[in-house]
Formats: sequence, C-alpha cells, structure tokens
Amino acid sequence: MIKEQEMDHLFRHQYGKMVSILTRIFGLSHLETIEDAVQDTFLLASLKWRKEIPENPEAWLTKAAKNRAIDLLRKIKADQNRIANLSSGTSSIAFSHLFLEHEIEDSQLRMIFTACHPILKPQDQIAFALKTIAGFSGKEIASALLLKEATIKKRLARARKTIKEKEIVFELPEDNTIKDRLHRVHEVIYLIFNEGFHSNQKDSLIHKDLCGEAIRLCKLILKKTEYRTGDGYALFALLCFHASRMESKLSASGKIIDLKQQDRSLWYQPLIQLGNDALSTSRGYEEFSSYFLEAAIAQEHVYAKTFKSTNWQKIHAFYKHLNTLQETPFSLLNLAIVLLQLNKNQEALEILNSVNPNDLEQRSYLYFGAKAEYYKNIKENTKALDCIDEALKRVNNTSEKVYLEEKKMELQNIHKI
Amino acid sequence: MKDFMMIFIGADYQELGLSPEEMQTRMGKWFTWGGKMEAAGILKGGEALVPVAKCISGPNRTVTDGPYTESKEIVGGYYTVSAKNAEEVVEIAQDFPDYDLGGTVEIREIMVFDR
Repeated sequence: MIKEQEMDHLFRHQYGKMVSILTRIFGLSHLETIEDAVQDTFLLASLKWRKEIPENPEAWLTKAAKNRAIDLLRKIKADQNRIANLSSGTSSIAFSHLFLEHEIEDSQLRMIFTACHPILKPQDQIAFALKTIAGFSGKEIASALLLKEATIKKRLARARKTIKEKEIVFELPEDNTIKDRLHRVHEVIYLIFNEGFHSNQKDSLIHKDLCGEAIRLCKLILKKTEYRTGDGYALFALLCFHASRMESKLSASGKIIDLKQQDRSLWYQPLIQLGNDALSTSRGYEEFSSYFLEAAIAQEHVYAKTFKSTNWQKIHAFYKHLNTLQETPFSLLNLAIVLLQLNKNQEALEILNSVNPNDLEQRSYLYFGAKAEYYKNIKENTKALDCIDEALKRVNNTSEKVYLEEKKMELQNIHKI
Repeated sequence: MKDFMMIFIGADYQELGLSPEEMQTRMGKWFTWGGKMEAAGILKGGEALVPVAKCISGPNRTVTDGPYTESKEIVGGYYTVSAKNAEEVVEIAQDFPDYDLGGTVEIREIMVFDR
C-alpha cells in the first residue's frame, strides 16, 4: 500500500487539476460552485483515508472528480445547453477523454492563461493563480504573500467578478497573442517564485511551497511544444539555480546565511543540472531576455566552488548587459554590489548615488547595506555604521534584522582595532 | 483491560476552510496515529462522522437539523481502544492531530454489564 509520505502534495496538485477539468466542462462562470465542490471532495478524502489510503489515490480522486462533475450537472441546471453539447460531443472531446493526462494538462494550461489574463489586475493574478491552480487557501496565500487574509479574499472576489463580467472564456490564447500572453505568464511565475524565495519568514514551509509551485507551473508550460520559448527555458533555469540554494539560505534556527557563508555542499546538484540543461536549450532560441541574463548570473554563482573563486568579472558583464535591457532600481543596486566585490568602489558609488533608495520600497534596507559595504571597503567605518543603522531602521523582517546586527558588530569590532 | 471510547469534538475541517494541502497533512497524521494504535493492538474500532446531524427530541419527536449553535460542539468521530485505565488513554490521545484547531478529545469508559 502507498505510504502517505509518498503522496507529496497530491491533494494540492489534484485540486488544481480537478478545478481545471470541471471548469472546462462547466465554464468559468461556475468557478465558485466548482471550487466548493472540489473542496468537498478533499474533505471527504481526508476523512475516509484516515484509516486506509486507497491503492491508487490519484485514480480515486479522478473518479471523485468525475462523480463531482455529474453531481454538478444536476446542480447547475441553468446551463442546459452546455450540458447537451457535452453529451452530444459538439465540443469534439468526449466527457471521459477530459480525464486523460494530456487533456488534464490542457485544462490546467487554460487555467494558467486565465489567471494571467491581461484584463485582471497584476496583484489579483497571483492570488487567483495560487488559489485555482495551486489550491492554496486564502489564509495560506495571505501568509505566503505577507498580506492580510481579508485582502486576499478581496482580490480573489475581484478576479472572479472581472472574469464573469468580461465574459472571459476558458480557452488557450489565439496564435497571434501567444507571445504577449506567455510573457505575462512568465512574469507571474517569476513573481510567485520571488515571493517564496526572498521572504525569510519563520514559516519557511509555505514559502518553499511557493517556489515549488512556480517551478511546477513553468514545467507545465514547457511541456507544450507551442509554448516552448527561449524565455521560458531561461526562466526555468533561473528558478532551478535559485532553488538549488534553498536549503543553504537559512540556518536551522531561521537565521539568514549570505552567499559568502553558505555551505556550498548543500546546493542541490540535480536542480543545478536541470538548470544547466534548460539554459543551454534556451540558447537555441533567437529571443534574448532578462531571464536569460539572470539565469546566467545565477549559474555563475552556483558554478563557483567558493565565494572567493566567483567569476565577478563575468557576473559584472551580465549585470551591465541586464541594465541595458531593463534598468530598474534593483538591477542597478545589484550591479553596484558586484562592483563592490570587484573593489571598483568609485564606480559602485556613482551607481548607488543614481538610485533613490525609496524606490526600492520595503527592500530599501538593501541599499543601505550596500552603502555600508562601500564605506567599509574604503575604510570609513563610522559612515559604514551610520548606513547599517539606517538599514536597521528600514528593515522589518526579523532574520534580516539579525543579519544586519551581526554586520554591525563586525564593523564595531574593526572599529576597535 | 477495559474498553474506552475517545470521542472527537470540534475542529470541523469544512468550517475551518482548510486548504487541500492542510487536509492532506491532517489526514496523514490521523493515518499515522491509527497505524500506531493498530500496531500496538489496542485499536478496537472507530469511524469519522459526517458533520450533518438530524436530532429528534421531545415527546412530539421533533426533528431538527442538529442542536448545535457552534461547530466546536460537533462530534466528528470516535475510536474505541482497550487500555488499563483512563490515564493510559490520555497518553494515547496525546497524538490526536487536531488540538491546534480547537478540537477536544473526550475519553469515556465503556460500561460492561454483568451477565
């Protein structure tokens, strides 16, 4: 019999699948009813499986989804036409075919494109994707995105309302819009991953899950030939490289470990390998994007055996290129940090001076951390300490705070000598 | 050895709006707990109950849809186990998965009638 540990996220993933299939059958206008029905199925499973987990849990759940669909057919009476179409087969795919693996994937892709529909507000897209595709509860989304549950509920409700009002259809994008639509899908996946990767909350499990979901979605997109793009592969590579360092990023007590101090033997090689492959594949495509450069930078980092042996020259070149593609306060800050590593202090300062720290919003403390590094490099420790204090004032994340305080102590010790 | 019933009250997953992931985690804990009792040979039986009730009361046999005002009063299931005494069952009940959701375990000895 299958052990429950082997069912890694089965419910969560199956939830997304079931909601997608049922939405394909009944349409987006019934999304709420569908989600409730699917939720009920899992409730039932969680009670029934307390004593005995079925031989093939996935098959059990798929069967449950089918039965749910039949229940819903009765419940959603208003839509007689659609139901008639289904049984007569105008939709060209027979009911039970929808439950075949490739059709399930097709349904999930439709849901991804729906979630990333340009008509939805960007912040609603993320919440909606996490709910319908990844089966997160409002509470889970709230804790993953560090927002209030009420805010998430509002965003979900707004997304559903917009979908209904604008009569968005549950289809894959038209050929001539694929490029733009994929672009947004990539962005949403990137954002979901970043939310998970850059937060250093105590509840790290939910954040790891966000990263896992982002990788899964990216993989799902790349499964379909038409959606394979250089961007997509580069994004996938980027996520893999970052994720490979997940375990070494936080200590057992939840303390941040910076790149310099991370135990490089913990970096997960199979993910690095996947990243390498994806990045090479992306080189075969003509288009060239910021994902590619970001992935190339991440690859340089995971290639370096030690922090010291990092090829900063190469990384510097990538960052410079990145800034010509899209100059953001963050990309400039990163460029400055690399220059500081290369001891090109004056150049770093010029870039730092061109950035307004307030543009970095809640991450503005990073700016002052970098500035402290600059003053440390040019041996102006008093000024370095001032910057650390400013950073401390702006940080609201506990583990980042601890990290900065340690930096401060380090500086104070240099000061004494 | 005596028989005891552990009655599980409150912590209605539906009411609490647990996510699929949370439900799977909970289910896994229940599964492990049941397995542990089974391996120890103390598990006699038990069921999970659907959280919808019909209540019949009064001389007129009035039927209502459950007397509950709050979900924390709903009996969600039970296990019967054999143990030396109630203290031992208290020990067994330490592994009940849903205390953090406001769940309660009530332990009752099953009365034995002399023949």
